[in-house]
Amino acid sequence: MAFALLLAGLAIAASSTPARAQEAATHGALAMDQQIARLEALGITTTATDPPAGVVGAIWQASIPADNAMTPERIALGRKLYFDARLSADGTVACATCHDVSRGFTDQRPVSEGIAGKLGRRNAPTTLNAMLLTSQFWDGRAADLEAQAKLPIVNPVEMGMPDGDAVVKVVVADPEYVAMFQQAYGRAPSYDDIGRAIATFERTLVFLDAPFDRFMAGDVNALSGEAQRGMALYNGKARCVTCHPLNAANPIGSDNRFHNIGVSARHQDFGSLAKQALTALAADSSEEQLDRLALETDMSELGRFMVTKRRDDIGSFKTPQVRNLTISAPYMHDGSMQTLWDVMDHYNRGGEANLFLDGGIEPLALTDTEIDEVVTFMVALTDVRFAKEGETAMAAQRTLAATKRPFKDEALAMRRVLPFESKSAAAGQEVRP
Amino acid sequence: MTGRHARTALATVVLALGAVGCKPASQETAPPPPPAADASGKTEVVLCDNHTKVTVDTKANPTRDDGEQIAQQLMAQWKQKNPGVDWEADERRAHDLVPAADNAGLVGNPQGQTYGAITDRDVLLWKSQVETFALAGSRVFHSADELGSTIAVSCDMCHPDGANTHPETYPKFQVQLGRTVLLRDMINWCIEHPVRGPRLADDDPKMRALEAYIYAQRKGVPLDYGRR
Amino acid sequence: MKSIETKYMEERERTLRGLAGLSRRDFLKVSTAAVGATALHGVFNPHSFQPVDVASAATVDPAGKVEPFRFAYISDSHLYSKDLNDRFVNGLMRAVDDVNALDPQPDFVFYGGDLAQLGQPQELELGAQILKNLKAPVRMMVGEHDWYLDLGEKWRSLFGDDRYTFEHKGVQFVTLNSVIEEDFWTERNLSPMERMKTVAGLDNHGQRPFTVGAEQRAWLAQQLEKVPSDKPLIVFSHSPLYKIYKNWNFWTDDAEEVQAILKRFANVVVIHGHTHQVLTNRIGNIHFHGLLSTAWPWPYAPQGLPPLTVQMGRPDPFNPNDGCGDGMVQVHADGLVDKVYALWNRNPVTVSRRYTLSGGKEDRPAAPLLASF
Repeated sequence: MAFALLLAGLAIAASSTPARAQEAATHGALAMDQQIARLEALGITTTATDPPAGVVGAIWQASIPADNAMTPERIALGRKLYFDARLSADGTVACATCHDVSRGFTDQRPVSEGIAGKLGRRNAPTTLNAMLLTSQFWDGRAADLEAQAKLPIVNPVEMGMPDGDAVVKVVVADPEYVAMFQQAYGRAPSYDDIGRAIATFERTLVFLDAPFDRFMAGDVNALSGEAQRGMALYNGKARCVTCHPLNAANPIGSDNRFHNIGVSARHQDFGSLAKQALTALAADSSEEQLDRLALETDMSELGRFMVTKRRDDIGSFKTPQVRNLTISAPYMHDGSMQTLWDVMDHYNRGGEANLFLDGGIEPLALTDTEIDEVVTFMVALTDVRFAKEGETAMAAQRTLAATKRPFKDEALAMRRVLPFESKSAAAGQEVRP
Repeated sequence: MTGRHARTALATVVLALGAVGCKPASQETAPPPPPAADASGKTEVVLCDNHTKVTVDTKANPTRDDGEQIAQQLMAQWKQKNPGVDWEADERRAHDLVPAADNAGLVGNPQGQTYGAITDRDVLLWKSQVETFALAGSRVFHSADELGSTIAVSCDMCHPDGANTHPETYPKFQVQLGRTVLLRDMINWCIEHPVRGPRLADDDPKMRALEAYIYAQRKGVPLDYGRR
Repeated sequence: MKSIETKYMEERERTLRGLAGLSRRDFLKVSTAAVGATALHGVFNPHSFQPVDVASAATVDPAGKVEPFRFAYISDSHLYSKDLNDRFVNGLMRAVDDVNALDPQPDFVFYGGDLAQLGQPQELELGAQILKNLKAPVRMMVGEHDWYLDLGEKWRSLFGDDRYTFEHKGVQFVTLNSVIEEDFWTERNLSPMERMKTVAGLDNHGQRPFTVGAEQRAWLAQQLEKVPSDKPLIVFSHSPLYKIYKNWNFWTDDAEEVQAILKRFANVVVIHGHTHQVLTNRIGNIHFHGLLSTAWPWPYAPQGLPPLTVQMGRPDPFNPNDGCGDGMVQVHADGLVDKVYALWNRNPVTVSRRYTLSGGKEDRPAAPLLASF
């Protein structure tokens, strides 16, 4: 968190040089026209009606809502909106600011920066393959991409528009938009349709052509021996497959469920946070309030609980996909893990013990070699179109991980000390009949 | 005891315990030496493994009953040292096994066909063999050691009498295994994680026996593949 | 199309409006409970904000006999030594953490038996050591896994008598050793560990049914002789004190005789271990509640399940903690209880006093989607 603030501070304070000013204006994102150029270079071949390679057709079709079938017009409209910073209060933030084509369709920051340099509390999930998740946001509060697209636009620390009507006003002022909406939806622009169009564009961002996929299709040389050993561990001793299953019907590796793996337990006191949350939601339980609470307050750390208010969901966050991880660091809902080794260390030690820890999280007793093998396998899940970017990113991760492994704890991993052992209170009463 | 009587007694003992693998006296090259006459009035009787022994009162005219008693004592001692030998009886005493299908009604040969000719002996053979195999599975199922568990957990801890194994629901798509699985895949997952032992090969005798036991215990439940 | 949280808040509103009929003082108590006290107690009702029946718990019996209170429970930890099995040890530690996190703290913590897996001294000592970390005082009870290695020698040296009585806030408590088995080991010449391992297998038929036994029944009758019939009575027992499934010793052979001794009391609650699942029954004046295990869940028996029991839903084999947990017992003014099953990774299940009193008609806990196979 401190690191992100420092970064933001640098971006805003040091605006003396043109480059820095540019960065402040774009919040670290690549310029929109350059992003569009990169997007085109990626050569997305999904047509409006055919499922992309790598996913079962029926599943892909089921992910598209009945009232928003994919058409080329809708895709084009959604694309224009995705890269349009006029949809923000100060004209500097578009979807592509935090879901940047050049930065893994996320922003590669621990938490995202919105208008006026304001910081949120959560790591931006990547737009890549997002259509194959059954809910959006780390706490699943949006049921689909349509719902998701409409919330950051009106969030005070993201794009900061006052409400949907203000957004529609901006759109209506542009005659090109009016024409495109007419072609796409046969009606005047509305906030709902804005969400629909953006969602349709995002549905073209399916990237499932990784070395892993080629291996599964029959190319035995696509995965190195180390990656194959990593795959065996992924499906076996390391237990990743229990929540991150990878198969034709679910090619991105998320069970679409919510689990408390202890990341949020590192700094919080859940009991008092839950009490606070109930009080705040009692006053106002609308979607916008939920959105605001999730992004602006400590209660963000309660995760799914903010949506369902079930005890079981305290500190639970959605299982993210395991695709394209090399370009979507840092990891976890708060971006607290910078390298894949940090992620492995976290799981290897059995997460962070807390009262609501998911029972599937246990110390794994993986050796250093085994950890390296699983990381190599995860790298092989990155689409070949991002191979170069990914290699650069992993080189940096490797350098960092060589000296810093802040989550590594061998005593816990090898089960010499038990996760709840450290938590037991010291003082106790004498045990008597 | 005279030399001749002692020899007879020992010979009786050896023959009665032919099952434990001792050669019958008639096949030995020379008769065993008679036991030394003892001032204390006791005779030591040694089993043909030269190891297991009992001490009995020297008797002038030992009867067949005496011989049988000595034999039983020796056998009991030997069994204690070799606990696996009666495993079937032990397993049946400890755990229930749902009996295999009753094929007794098939005995006969109405159409004069060799294959279709079924005797009582056939029925007995089928039943005893399949139940033995299922019992072997029960033995592994109930033993953390046989499963190779490193945390002393056996299957029956969560599945007493094979409860809650629902083999009739396989094959099924198991999300957490990432694919459609058969019963043995789930068994292997359980061995690897809750039991924390080494995975078994698909054709490992223990895996086959475990499957046999699990199916046996679920006899009569209709197949329902894919049920959650 | 209402959002999830809107629906929840509406339900909460309905609940609070329904309570508007109470006096102001009681209403304030209850509404605070509705918003925060359930959070304070660390317990949320399964799917809504219906408060745990704080209203009735808040009233004192007109005779002023019983002050409502609550105690926590941890049970059936089945400890091996830590080097052998870390998972079971971690489970007990997690339960201790759960109970220590309760605010306010319960009056005491009840341990429901089977602390050790094979009754070995190092297992019992490890368990005793871990339980020392509890902030509240502990009341111990023995299970068969603690007993049959040395027939209670180590247990008694660590924890005292295996059966005893005590009073607390107007309620009479009795703790039994209800895992007494007729001697099956002498005739078969079993060593102590062989005897223990025979008993340790739930489906192992080498053992005999659990009993309270004639001598202990006589002791029980004598202990209860002076206790008036209108005094609330809570009995702690490892075996269920009724008959579910003999093959798994979900069974007390002399249950009828024991129930006869308890028959004259107005309200009797039996809290039992051994079954590792949500289990509810009522026989006349006796309300039976089972305990969860911190080590592993048992499946439901193929027969004998009491009709009052709403199953806890099939545990997820991919989550070694699912179906396990600890919990609390809220004792009301009349001595009857709300039994809270604090299942790990699930919402707590509350089997309330109203549920058992109404014979299952009111306040029914949610049925699971995945029932036992």
